[in-house]
Amino acid sequence: MADDLILDVQEVKKAYDGVEVLKGISFGLYRGETKVLIGPSGSGKSTLLRCINQLTVPDAGRIYLNGKEVLDSNIDTMRARMGFVFQDFNLFSHLTVLDNVRICQIKVNGINKDDATQRAHRELERVGLSERANAYPAELSGGQQQRVSIARALAMDPDVLLFDEPTSALDPELTGEVVRVMQQLAVEGMTMVVVTHEMSFARQAADEIIFMENGHIVEQGTPAELFDASASDRTRAFLNIIKEHE
Amino acid sequence: MDIYDVLLRDFPFLLKGLGVAIVLLVALLIIGFVLGLAICLLQLYGPKTRLVQWPLKLYERVFRGIPIIIMLFIFYYGMSGIFEISAFGAAVLAMGLRSAAYQSQIFRSAFQSVPSGQMMAARAMGMSKMVAIRQIIFPQAAIHAIGPWTNEFSSEIKETSLAYVIGVVELTRQAHYIITSTQGNVLTVFAVVALLYFVLNRVGNSLLYAYERKLAVPGFGK
Repeated sequence: MADDLILDVQEVKKAYDGVEVLKGISFGLYRGETKVLIGPSGSGKSTLLRCINQLTVPDAGRIYLNGKEVLDSNIDTMRARMGFVFQDFNLFSHLTVLDNVRICQIKVNGINKDDATQRAHRELERVGLSERANAYPAELSGGQQQRVSIARALAMDPDVLLFDEPTSALDPELTGEVVRVMQQLAVEGMTMVVVTHEMSFARQAADEIIFMENGHIVEQGTPAELFDASASDRTRAFLNIIKEHE
Repeated sequence: MDIYDVLLRDFPFLLKGLGVAIVLLVALLIIGFVLGLAICLLQLYGPKTRLVQWPLKLYERVFRGIPIIIMLFIFYYGMSGIFEISAFGAAVLAMGLRSAAYQSQIFRSAFQSVPSGQMMAARAMGMSKMVAIRQIIFPQAAIHAIGPWTNEFSSEIKETSLAYVIGVVELTRQAHYIITSTQGNVLTVFAVVALLYFVLNRVGNSLLYAYERKLAVPGFGK
């Protein structure tokens, strides 16, 4: 099992202006596993996710991807192995959908254009958008843009996909199409860390849920353990508030 | 010989003057482009130390803050005491360096119009900063820059006529020669010259508009 440990996060700390947002977070992620990070706003989930690929540079702690430490010196190679899906998509707005999914394969992974094109079409089909390959991002709905950004990440053939609240910027009627894509990926055995407020996704797709609050991991366990038999008052309180809003 | 015969006879000189104006324009725009882009990139992505940023800011302020005629005098009459420089060379230098100050600002605001998420996404996908600037930021900044750059192009066409004051034999000076040699006809000669500047301006603008349309991306920047 040990060499199936894809992501190893050790004692990550981060403070902004003296306020500790992450107070020493550790967890491991195994091949094919889907881990869902939940918790109230400001609990540090997104910061943690950004620390993993160093979009936010942690103050302390180590991150290992496939046993290799993520460092300043190898950051571009490491990031190419970790797909990142943003809350607000961040598709390259001057490029067509096809080019969005192609460009990093070509410019980062050095894949030739024909292979990159083939791969791009395959990933677009996977997210159900092959017919929009020649559209520009501004011509797509938010849900479609997010699916393209998932295809863009998948096309890099990453070891792990990191999702940073992928449905939070979407109108409620558009979240479903994105969640379905993520569920399908989980079923197919993609290794993923997902920060989300979509509890239905967490319940159905997560192998493990991590509940964070105030920069700590309060509790972690299977969906059944957390949703139905949580040992923590804090977790139960948070889940009750979420339930009331659903 | 009436003025129309003179104009017909001397038209090649006007065209020659127009040619000089165009070469001056192209040369100053190239200097302005290369230097302006370098200044912009250093301001945005270079070291944030005062040692680097302060001289850039000073340069930009100075060249935007002094009348171009004074610049031409300084670069021609002032510099010729120190090293050999032709009137044309001085005009290219003075106007090119000034255009660099303006173009750096056009580029800077164009680069800043690109949302920060674009760079973040490019870096998150494993692009180095250089590749991200080249592949993602620059093409988008170009779309933002082309409109204001067309303005700069237009004003520089007109400003080439100022090279007249240090004796560059460009279009305006050729016109002046015709007027002097025919003792008068100021209105007719300058009307023809005005038309030439105007046509050059329209042709240049149309080409740039066409390029702008070519770069345009549906829904971009809205």
